[in-house]
Amino acid sequence: MPEQPTGTGFAERVRCVLTAVPPVPDATACWAALGKAGVLAQAYRDGRPERGVDPRRLGALLAALDERGLNGVTLAACVQLATVLPLLAEGVGSGPAVAEALARTLDGTATTALAATDEAAGSDLTALATEVRAEGDELVVRGAKRWITNATHATWLLVLARRRPGPHFTNFSWVLVPADAPGVTARPADTDLFAGSGVGHVRFDDVRVPADHLVGRPGRGLAGFARHIAVERLAGALWAVALCRRALDAAKRSLTARDGLWQLDGVRQRFATGLVEVHQLRALAASLAGRIAVDHDGTAGALLKASVGPTVNRVLAECAHLHGAEGFTAGGPHRLRAEAEVFGVGGGVTEVVLGGVADQADRLLAELADWESVRESAP
Amino acid sequence: MDERFTALLTRFLPARGDRELTHDTPLRDLGLDSMQSIELLFAIEDEFGVSLPDDDLTDTTFATAGNLWRAVSAATETQVGAA
Repeated sequence: MPEQPTGTGFAERVRCVLTAVPPVPDATACWAALGKAGVLAQAYRDGRPERGVDPRRLGALLAALDERGLNGVTLAACVQLATVLPLLAEGVGSGPAVAEALARTLDGTATTALAATDEAAGSDLTALATEVRAEGDELVVRGAKRWITNATHATWLLVLARRRPGPHFTNFSWVLVPADAPGVTARPADTDLFAGSGVGHVRFDDVRVPADHLVGRPGRGLAGFARHIAVERLAGALWAVALCRRALDAAKRSLTARDGLWQLDGVRQRFATGLVEVHQLRALAASLAGRIAVDHDGTAGALLKASVGPTVNRVLAECAHLHGAEGFTAGGPHRLRAEAEVFGVGGGVTEVVLGGVADQADRLLAELADWESVRESAP
Repeated sequence: MDERFTALLTRFLPARGDRELTHDTPLRDLGLDSMQSIELLFAIEDEFGVSLPDDDLTDTTFATAGNLWRAVSAATETQVGAA
């Protein structure tokens, strides 16, 4: 097992690995370098994805990726780290195909796309139409997925599919589908955002895979996803803090480079407001990280996710404004704002997540009355 | 249904109020939605130290308190008893 550096040492090692990767939007090149160096495994407790993420190392890894300013590449890594690898690790008992996908995704020689969002259902996963049926020793997958990160360059697709009719959560399973299997068609999404992420739409036309490509136990697909969505939300928050820090840093450099602007009270106050908001988000992530990473606490994940989208939106809007006309430069702050909208959409739109927070109002109010119930763990 | 089970179940029934929890109580009517059902499944498996068998992962199992208790008690007998 690779050595397990901690804190700054780990962050420096990730930066060192990434230095050797050309600064172009190529998610597979970054993933391969990180995997080869063993740092992907080190984002998990004891180097094992089935044990859950190590929030501090995951945050350091995402921050190092974010420093390169290639949001599509960071997005592609974030999904695999937070959701794909843990799901594969928990389903590794299914057979050699899942074990191979886990090993090769973890060592960076392959990538696996999370194909959950359905063409028909959008964010309501219980309404998804992509189906899997058993035929003899095979599984047959039919349906379509949209806006799938890593879709166009993935080696495998981890597909959430319906095994019987009805919205109940027990009606869904995960299926591992090789991207080159007959009947799989992936095409790039019509967007110029998230370069290098491989985001696209995927069709499955009666795709046949061996029965051991069922990942995990049948009927636990949606339950497994729900368990890991909180971790994806934690990863999103950790990345959001890094991205906002980068944007604020660029805004401050722009302001200080223009005569007298940084000395104007109005400008300083606007900047400081953004700085305070990012520190608030970081503090929230730190206070909830343990509950999410260890306990997969869905309420904690919803609380964090509900804060991320609006915070990123406000901070990046302010940063873009502070750049003045230069903010409209190609690849500049206004483009960053557009890409950062993903924080309010991916992993559950803010409005839906706020509904989940409201559902847990009594519990969250009780927590406010009892500081001892908030277990702190810095990311 | 034992008290440990009903106490745990009640945590996931926001619309129960003062209503009695019987074997035939429809859980959906008491506020058990899909996401809450998932949390309930994990809570039961943690609390009782069992894993509900694949055949019991159906909407029928989660339809009433009695159905769910039968699945939990059967899993407890076979899995905990065998341990």
